[in-house]
Amino acid sequence: MITLDDVSKRYPNGTFALRDVDLRIDAGEFVFVVGSSGAGKSTLNRLLIREEMPSSGRVVVDGQDVARMKRSQVPHLRRKVGVVFQDFKLLQTKTVAQNIGFALVVTGHHPDVVREETDRALALVGLTPRRQHFPRELSGGEQQRTAIARALVSRPRILIADEPTGNLDPVTSWEIIKLFVRVNELGTTLLMATHNAEIVNALRRRVIHLDQGAIVRDEREGLYAA
Amino acid sequence: MMRVSYVAAAAWEGFWRNPVMSLASTFTVSLMLLLFAFFVVSDRGLQAAVGILESKVELAVYLDDNAKPSDILALKARLERDPATSSVLYVTKDEALRRLKEIAARRPDLAVEDVSGNPLQNSLEIKLANAQDSKRISASLRDEIGKGVVGDVIDNPSVVDKLLTITRVLSVGGVAILAMMLFVALFVIVNTIRIAVHARRDEIEIMKLVGATDWFVRWPFIVEGMLVGALGAFVALAAILAVAPAISAALVSFLDILPVSLGSNFIAELITFVFAFALLVGAGGATISVRTHLAR
Repeated sequence: MITLDDVSKRYPNGTFALRDVDLRIDAGEFVFVVGSSGAGKSTLNRLLIREEMPSSGRVVVDGQDVARMKRSQVPHLRRKVGVVFQDFKLLQTKTVAQNIGFALVVTGHHPDVVREETDRALALVGLTPRRQHFPRELSGGEQQRTAIARALVSRPRILIADEPTGNLDPVTSWEIIKLFVRVNELGTTLLMATHNAEIVNALRRRVIHLDQGAIVRDEREGLYAA
Repeated sequence: MMRVSYVAAAAWEGFWRNPVMSLASTFTVSLMLLLFAFFVVSDRGLQAAVGILESKVELAVYLDDNAKPSDILALKARLERDPATSSVLYVTKDEALRRLKEIAARRPDLAVEDVSGNPLQNSLEIKLANAQDSKRISASLRDEIGKGVVGDVIDNPSVVDKLLTITRVLSVGGVAILAMMLFVALFVIVNTIRIAVHARRDEIEIMKLVGATDWFVRWPFIVEGMLVGALGAFVALAAILAVAPAISAALVSFLDILPVSLGSNFIAELITFVFAFALLVGAGGATISVRTHLAR
């Protein structure tokens, strides 16, 4: 599903965000990416949706060479890869349902499809009763569930979460993680960058540890720290 | 696939998100279009005037009183063969005097006093098919002055010269002023749309993240630019059409007998011109400001 061959990302100022990374993630996997800030976790995420280009090496997502695809193909890549952020990135002027449906509206779907798929995503994250609320009327956990629903509404094959629990309290964090586990069980490949040691240690999933842009540890049923 | 309803709604929303800025740019576009329409109208009027006057351009050849009729006829035939002339008329001195009296009779400020003798000369009146050739023909006729037939050559394309000069000045000056106005209008539209883009930067970021195509991001802004253009065109045309009858009347009386007026064909053409120009400027300005934002 995701393959990185000898990938390096070097910024113009000479620092390496990623250095000679080889990685293979199969369909249906649940992968934690851990490491201190600046270790390259966000760069890895950005390479997968071509928000950034690798300086060298090959990034393949769902069979497509990301760096070599045409600019016009990028939107189609991003429809296959949902993204969730620490700061939710919700539109404050739109309701929960509109925020979720937005992903389908702006990719040119028919209003009937938008309504149907939004309802499905709302039910999946348990926000149907909140559909007419605005983000500012929601708790942090509800906002993150809205963001997850928006990422899932176009039925992506891969879901990338960048510190999804970074702004949430421990109880809410667990609710969000349980939601991710469920999404993964429904078949979506999951890649989660996190600093939350408790969650990583409890779930015992694959853990990839980045340090200064290099993979220093890759364990099947890993812990947050070696 | 592009959903027209989404684009239209987003453009409309964008226009009213910052009404002061949108209306300011609409007003600027209106002013530019008014100028544009003014130049189109005056250019048309002057072109028509030049066309009509050109058809009236004449050369008069005053004939030597002692010229032989056969020589006069030969000269007339030679001039008639020239493709640049449309007609050559022989006017006797009696006919010329009769005309003069006729003109004087119609104008209170002129009177023919002493008509005992006839100071006028026989002449050939040459109508030209093409005003540009008047210099060539008059020069060749001037070469014959004093050779027994041609007494003097009078050309009166000075009116046409003046009109052509006015048209030229107007079109050069008009294009220059229009270019400046176009620049100002583009500048204002580019900034209006840039502000609209800035106001929606979060939305654009999310659109790109969830896989909206560049065109899907661009279209609402381009349509918003076209909306500014179309509204500007509407205001300008409303103003023009409100004063059109007055302008038309003024033109007719100013240019006197010239059949210049704002005909319905011309108005339809003007409306098409102004709208097409406005939409182009609006879409162009928006494209410029969106392109700089999306290029990354």
